[in-house]
Amino acid sequence: MNETLHVVQKLSDWRARALEFEQEIQKAVIGQARVVRLVTICIFARGHVLIEGDVGVGKTTLLRSLSRALGGDFARVEGTVDMMPSDILYHTYLGDDGRPRVDPSELLRHAETLPVFFFNEINRARPQVHSLLLRLMAERSVSAFNRVHHFPYLNVFADRNMVEREETFELPAAARDRFFMEILMAAPDDEEARRRLVFDPAFHDTEMLLERVSSGTLDYRETPAVARAIQTHVRSSEALERYVLNLWRALVDPSSAGVSPPDVDLDSLVKGGASPRGLAALVRAARVRAWLEGRDYLIPEDVRDVFIEVMAHRIFVDPIHALRSDDIVKRLCRAAFDATPVP
Amino acid sequence: MRMACIALMLAATLPACAQETTVRIHSARPFGYFVGDLIHARIDVSAPADAVLSRASLPSPGPLSGSLDLRDIKLSETSENGARLWRLDLTYQNFYVALDARDIEVPGFELSISTAIGAQAVAVPAWRIGVSPLREVAPQKQEQATDYLRPDGSSAFVDEATLRNLAFGAGAGALLALALVARDRAWPPFQQRQARVFSALAREISRRRGAGDAHFAASIQSVHRALDRANGAILLSGDLPEFLRRRPEFEPLQVDFERFFETSKQLFFGGESSKDDYAAEQLAQFVSRLARQERAG
Repeated sequence: MNETLHVVQKLSDWRARALEFEQEIQKAVIGQARVVRLVTICIFARGHVLIEGDVGVGKTTLLRSLSRALGGDFARVEGTVDMMPSDILYHTYLGDDGRPRVDPSELLRHAETLPVFFFNEINRARPQVHSLLLRLMAERSVSAFNRVHHFPYLNVFADRNMVEREETFELPAAARDRFFMEILMAAPDDEEARRRLVFDPAFHDTEMLLERVSSGTLDYRETPAVARAIQTHVRSSEALERYVLNLWRALVDPSSAGVSPPDVDLDSLVKGGASPRGLAALVRAARVRAWLEGRDYLIPEDVRDVFIEVMAHRIFVDPIHALRSDDIVKRLCRAAFDATPVP
Repeated sequence: MRMACIALMLAATLPACAQETTVRIHSARPFGYFVGDLIHARIDVSAPADAVLSRASLPSPGPLSGSLDLRDIKLSETSENGARLWRLDLTYQNFYVALDARDIEVPGFELSISTAIGAQAVAVPAWRIGVSPLREVAPQKQEQATDYLRPDGSSAFVDEATLRNLAFGAGAGALLALALVARDRAWPPFQQRQARVFSALAREISRRRGAGDAHFAASIQSVHRALDRANGAILLSGDLPEFLRRRPEFEPLQVDFERFFETSKQLFFGGESSKDDYAAEQLAQFVSRLARQERAG
């Protein structure tokens, strides 16, 4: 009993700190409250993130402030078409004596203290690199210098270049499924935020901007334990579980569930991806959201709030719809919600 | 069919199988044809079972003589008593303007058949029919040349009533079809008022009252389904502001809505009963208020 009370108290404290953490991030990244909330959910669900957004909307600023607020290190690599896995793991250079040297890369050097690893333009890298990343994300470890390096606090954030198609390699389904969420980051809609971003000199200097974020609002070393506590503490009722399973059925077999998004042949729409792992991720994210909202039980709004971000990138539709699959999947998700009664 | 057999059973002059190949000519009547009349004849040719008729040897429709045309020919093939039977239905037309009753000849023709012993010709003999004149040879003297002509036939009376009735019937059918389409598409005047979902719900809830707490959860679910119908999609508590913006008639009930959703949330997802005393009574009041606002809106 005392143990439970202790956990409840601890989670309550951590919730206050998580909300404070969000406030800190929003000192540097304005007009992006929802993105910050989703990223916070990912931190406390221990999930890796795909970020989709135009250039210059503040993705790097967001991740650097995240890393600063978590008190850990920050590593970043740029995806290029000629990048090999070794480029991520090793740093090769010529020493003072003119001899070639191979040292651990930034990623390996910070392995034990790295909560944020940013892979920019991941779809420019080749499948070999995706493959290394797959292991890094799934097992939080890599092999280098003949031993295994562990990344106990790692969250991978990857950005996809959605503008150019040449010399890009679409992420394989398995790799996309490893990402916990895909978050769309667009320029803020709020007029005041837009004005400040353009005219306020404080937002023109990223280094100065990051100074605003208090360092170590959360301790990244504690997040794994808190994440576990959230998952065991937040309850799901039978009605909620039935609701999630009905949603799943509506996604996998839309026509039988009465889901009817317009202009789409439902018989062969979903080819895969609405996997048990995806649904498990959905429930994990929803639990963290419930916790951040101050509840110890799940409600349908928790599921709906994170659904598109957690599920849409894992649903693979018939190749005939490939060019507009994002739109179709989102419409399918909304139609599934409209057709699934609750409670 | 009233077809009298006139003639003839003619043994074809075939040396090898004279007793097996026969030709019979049937005609409706052998006399009494005027100019322009059609003459129907049926010719049955019976041959051994293995015989094959050459279609090319059939007569072709067209003029046969100056005053006789073959208009049509139909062939059917059957078996009869182990023999092959070809039935030719021929239609001739007579153009002979007879001044007295006399016989004219319908010319014969030959058919080619192939049997096991080789190709053979079967002769359909010429036959005769009697044609008759339409007028006297020396008619009575008339004063006017036009008096020799027969008067024009009187026009047949066409009953318009039937056609008019048919037209009215078709028009009424078209209007009915239009009305059905309009009803299906909800064109005016079939724009019905919105279904009063909450009035029906209020009746359902009042029926359930007194059935005990066991039905409380079911009643709450019924209210959710009615709200979903009114919203056009699933309505969660987070959608409430948007719903009230679209259906302003329910705005005065905002507090009741919030209380209902809170109760539902606690009951179905929180795993514990409502903290306040929200029960069947309050739910019934909420639903009757909804029904009242719905009628007012």
